[in-house]
Amino acid sequence: MSRSTVSARGLVKRFGHAAALRGIDLEVPEGTTLAVLGANGAGKSTLLRIVAGLARPSTGRVEVAGHPATHHEARRQVGYVGHATLLYPSLTARENLIFAARLYGLQDPGECADRALDREGLAEVAGRLAAGFSRGMAQRLSIARGLIHDPAVVLLDEPYTGLDLASAERLARRLSDLRGSHTVVWVTHDPERAARYSDAAIVLSQGRIALRAAAETLDAPSLEAALGAPDTAA
Amino acid sequence: MNVFLAVLWKDLVTEWRGRDRSVAMLVFCLLVVVVFHFALPGGATRETQELAPGLLWVAYVFAAVLGLNRAFSVELENDALTGLALVPRDRGWVFLGKAGASFVILGIVQAITALVFGLVFEIGSLGDVLPLCGIVALGSIGLCSVGTLLGAVAVRTRFREIMLPLLLLPLLMPILSGSVRATTELILNGQVPFEPVQLLIVADAVYLIASFVGFDYVLDE
Repeated sequence: MSRSTVSARGLVKRFGHAAALRGIDLEVPEGTTLAVLGANGAGKSTLLRIVAGLARPSTGRVEVAGHPATHHEARRQVGYVGHATLLYPSLTARENLIFAARLYGLQDPGECADRALDREGLAEVAGRLAAGFSRGMAQRLSIARGLIHDPAVVLLDEPYTGLDLASAERLARRLSDLRGSHTVVWVTHDPERAARYSDAAIVLSQGRIALRAAAETLDAPSLEAALGAPDTAA
Repeated sequence: MNVFLAVLWKDLVTEWRGRDRSVAMLVFCLLVVVVFHFALPGGATRETQELAPGLLWVAYVFAAVLGLNRAFSVELENDALTGLALVPRDRGWVFLGKAGASFVILGIVQAITALVFGLVFEIGSLGDVLPLCGIVALGSIGLCSVGTLLGAVAVRTRFREIMLPLLLLPLLMPILSGSVRATTELILNGQVPFEPVQLLIVADAVYLIASFVGFDYVLDE
C-alpha cells in the first residue's frame, strides 16, 4: 500500500458568514503523526472533515495521496474516526464491522471484522447489538470501524472521548503502532498526549494556525502555553 | 456493486429488526383503504373502478414519503450518514442501495395494500395481477429514485419531515400521471396502454441517472 501525505493550501471554510477556517497551509509528510490542538470552535474538526473528503473547502485545495480529498481514490486511503461513532444501533458489533468492510470492498469481510474485534478487545461482545454498548465500548468499536481497511492516512477526532483507563492505554498503544508506518492526523485537547504520541503539532485559533511545533520543539508546556486558556486542556 | 449490496443488506436487516418503517407505511395504507371504503359507494360500480386507481396511488405515494423520511432519519443516529459519505467508491452506489431497500419495503406494503384494496372494493381479477405488478414496479422505481435523493437533501434541513413531501410531490407528476392512467386502463378495460408506460420508463431513466450522479454532491457538507 502506498504511504501518503496530506497537503492543504490556502484552505478557507465558511458556513454562511462565519469562517471556520481562514487560510490554512499544511503539509503532513508520509509516516508522520500530527496533533491538532485548539480551543472549542477553533476549526479542528472542520479541518479534519475536509481532509476526510466529507466537506468541500470554500476556497483552497486539499490533497490526500496525490488526489483531491473529495475524490473516492483519496477516501480509499483515509480512515476516519469522528466525534460520533458512525455505528448502527440495530446491528451487532460484528455486523457493523462487516458492513464497513463491505463498503471498502475488502476480501472476506467476516474475517476482517473478527480481526478488528480482536484488536480492540471486543471479540466477546461481537454478537451484541451496538445499541447496548457503553460510550467507551462504542468508541472502541468506532475505532475498529475506522481502521478496518488499514488506511494509509488515519484521521482521529478526539479519539480518547469516553474511553476508560484500560481502553485509553489500548488506544495509546495503537497510536504508537501507527506512528512511522501511517500518516496520522489527530485532534486532541490534551497537550501531554499530543507531545507524547506525535511527531509534530499545530495549534489552531479562530481558524488560523497559531503555532507550528516540529519534532524538536514539541513539548507539552509550549503547547499548553499556545493553547492559552487552561480550561481547554482535558 | 459491493457498496450497493452492502447498503441494501444493511437497510433490509435494520428494517427487519425494527420494522418501524414498514409497519407505519402499511398502517397508513390500510387507513386510507378504510377511509375511502366509507367515502365511496359500495360494490363494484363503474364510479368505484374509475376512482380506485387514483386512491391506490394516493396511498402508495404518501406511504412512500413516510418510508423515505425514515430511511434517512436512521442515518442521523450516530452520524452514520458520514460513514456512507466516506465510501471509497462513487456515492451513487450508496444511493442505489438505499433506493433498492426502499423499493423492496415499499413493494411489500404495496402488495398487501393492493390485495386488501381489491377485496374491499371488489375490483380487479387474477389476470390483472401481473400487469398491475409491472405498473406499480415502474412507478415505484421513479418514486424511490427521486425520493431517495431528496430524502438525503431533506434530512439535513431543519424541517425535514415536511421538506421531503414539498420537494418530492411536484417532481412526481410524470410518475403519478403515468401510473394512474395505466392502472385505470387496466382496471376498466383489462389492458395496459403503451403511452403511460412509455412515460414511466422515460421518467424512471431520467430520475435514476440524475439521482445516481447527484447523490455524490448531496452527501457533501
